[in-house]
Amino acid sequence: MTASYFVETLARNGDVLHRHQVGSLPIRLGRGYDNDFIVDDSHCAARHAIIESDPDGRLVLRDLGTRNGVVHQGKRKSSLVMSGDTVVRLGHTMLRVRAADFPVPDEQLDRTMHAWEGGMPGLVGMFLIGVFSVLTVWLNDTQSFQLIRYLQALAYGIAAGLVWGGAWAFANRLFGRHARLGRHLFIFGCGFAAVTVFKLLSSVVAYSFSFEAITRYGSHVAILLVAGMLYFHLSTVKPNNARKFAVTCCIIALLGSGLTLISNEQRSGRLGDELYMSVLLPPTMRVAGDHQVGEFMDKVGAMKARLDAERTRKVNDGAVDDDDDA
Amino acid sequence: MKFVLPAAFLACLCAAALATAQSARQSPQQTANQRAPLTNPAPAQTLAPAIQPGGPPAATPPTEDEANPALPLPSSAAQNLYAKAKADLLQIRMLLKNGRSQSTVGSGFMVGTSNLVLTNYHVVSQMALDPDVYIGEYVDTDGKRGPVELLAVDVLHDLAVVRINREGTGFFNLPEKLAKLTQGQYLYSLGNPLDLGFAISEGSYNGVITRSFYDQLMFTGPINSGMSGGPSVTVSGDVAGVNVSKRRDGELVSFLVPVRYAQELLKKVALQTAPPKDFNPLIGQQLLAHQKAMVDRLLDAPLATKMMGPYLVPVRESEQVRCWGRSNVKAEASFTADTISCSMESAIFVSESQQTGHMAMTHQYVRSASLDKIRFSVLATTLFKVDNLGSNKDTRLTGPSCTEQFVVTRSVPLRAVTCVRAYRKFAGLYNFTLMTATTDDAKASLQSRIDVSGVSYENGMRTTRAFLDTLGRGSRQ
Repeated sequence: MTASYFVETLARNGDVLHRHQVGSLPIRLGRGYDNDFIVDDSHCAARHAIIESDPDGRLVLRDLGTRNGVVHQGKRKSSLVMSGDTVVRLGHTMLRVRAADFPVPDEQLDRTMHAWEGGMPGLVGMFLIGVFSVLTVWLNDTQSFQLIRYLQALAYGIAAGLVWGGAWAFANRLFGRHARLGRHLFIFGCGFAAVTVFKLLSSVVAYSFSFEAITRYGSHVAILLVAGMLYFHLSTVKPNNARKFAVTCCIIALLGSGLTLISNEQRSGRLGDELYMSVLLPPTMRVAGDHQVGEFMDKVGAMKARLDAERTRKVNDGAVDDDDDA
Repeated sequence: MKFVLPAAFLACLCAAALATAQSARQSPQQTANQRAPLTNPAPAQTLAPAIQPGGPPAATPPTEDEANPALPLPSSAAQNLYAKAKADLLQIRMLLKNGRSQSTVGSGFMVGTSNLVLTNYHVVSQMALDPDVYIGEYVDTDGKRGPVELLAVDVLHDLAVVRINREGTGFFNLPEKLAKLTQGQYLYSLGNPLDLGFAISEGSYNGVITRSFYDQLMFTGPINSGMSGGPSVTVSGDVAGVNVSKRRDGELVSFLVPVRYAQELLKKVALQTAPPKDFNPLIGQQLLAHQKAMVDRLLDAPLATKMMGPYLVPVRESEQVRCWGRSNVKAEASFTADTISCSMESAIFVSESQQTGHMAMTHQYVRSASLDKIRFSVLATTLFKVDNLGSNKDTRLTGPSCTEQFVVTRSVPLRAVTCVRAYRKFAGLYNFTLMTATTDDAKASLQSRIDVSGVSYENGMRTTRAFLDTLGRGSRQ
């Protein structure tokens, strides 16, 4: 029998808060200073429990008749067998005991790119944020050139990036061990760039091929891109929970899309973001052909049946908008 | 592991929403809604003589009371008229059935010695459209009240006939052979302005106005809300017209419905055996008749065209449809936008929240020498976006249903969008909106829009088609 044991106190998420080596059995646990492992918990008795070896060589924890007792999986126990994974609660303290020969799992493969940390990804992230904020302003700028508008956009973009990245770095420091601010800035920069590029590209495709549905429901792809960005933030904080985070982000994306659809339906009575495609681009960007006026008028005529069915549908009187009240 | 997800996961979309709003499309405020003072408040100095009773009158401005003896005597004609008309003049009120509180008030007058009362349709519209919610009541100059029964409406000329439980004295007569009015002739308008009390006001007749779709008489004299439906009579007591409206941007510019339309409506009442139970289908029929006349008049000849840059744009300028032009010649913008807007100056009143039988068209020609193609596209996109086409939560109209395509007219390729809304209460009536943007020039865009409200589907299609067929590219003149 190996003569070395480790008593570990755990956080609720399973992280080890404190580890103490004990040379031999029995191990006395309690608040008093005559114990082998001192539990600093006012809900523990001075002599709370003792760990001994049973005839089969297993470790057994025994309650020494305390008021609060020993709790395992929500049930109070007077004594129980401690395997290396048995977590018991004494008062407010969670702990487990492992012998020195406790088998640990194999090391996990390290997929983190350690070279892509710190300053470099941070700068690239900031650069992307800056470029795309300025691009957005430039595209919508129809007035004469004024530098201040671009500088303002740049400042707001970078500030937003720092606040967002900073919040994630804080979480990362809290739940992982490092802040990884550069990584989070890079992820935000890429996410912002992806959403902007998607908006531009989708407009081009929608116009070129006259695919109106793209501009009507494109926001759902943007929501998916944002969810993807969240996934990378989360995976940076905790690299080993990929599957869990993927599911979480899918749920967030679904919620976001659902809320968009519901608010569209509430606001305008239709699911799409807009009534018709308003995108207009230069003639050279068009692939779809022209239709004759007659074809267009046929399509207009075809709407009549739908409108006539719609007009008899009862509407909720309370929801009338008074937009064109005299 | 416990983890708190940040809620602001859409924050990065904010930067994309920095688009600058373009206000170039908004229609001009051609008619400022400045309301002229309704009464002439006594100046503060009026009180001065009361404080200094012995003071010489020359030192203080004369008060109204003091000034009156100096002025000519008030028109004795008006005095006589009001004394005779008093018994046949009524206030017509719409009351909520629940609680009998008044919802709108107007005026009316008894026709001859019958028990019929003439008033405006817009005074009794609530009773006509929602008889379950509203009922009518009259109040005469002695303060006596009684119920009113709606017999007939003429939405297009804004007239209605109601029946009450007493008979007129025969003062207001509508002679079969109408007296000819001459410009400048005195007319006396009667009614109950702003629910303050019965009043008579003097003004002059100034001819027939053809700006509205149906003829109206111009009366240069004060008509206030609440006097709607009251009579305007000549000095001899012949009814010349029914008070209907005034221009808020003018001074004393008021309008009367010519009495011949009232006579036509009274003839219809004489023929009908019982009043209609439901006025909605009847109003629907009248609106259908109106839209037919309106669209026929709009399209009786090919639409006229005007040049905007290289484009030929359809317009219709007539007595009823006026066009206004405007441009954004400002140093700040890097593009030029010229706009022509044409619209009918009158619409048909259906209810407080619904006017119809109207037509408007707008052409905006935008071009830029300094903007590159990409940014010009973004500008054109912003201008082409219209958000105010309504939702399906409206109780009067369905939500818009739209069709969009790349269309080529006789000489120009366009992006065309047509949105249609159907009237819920009136079967067979629709609002059509056509929006087009030319797609043949990377640095210029002609964006046009036509709105026709309250038309049949066929006429909506006809108008849309006529508009599309006329849009084109012409040689520069």
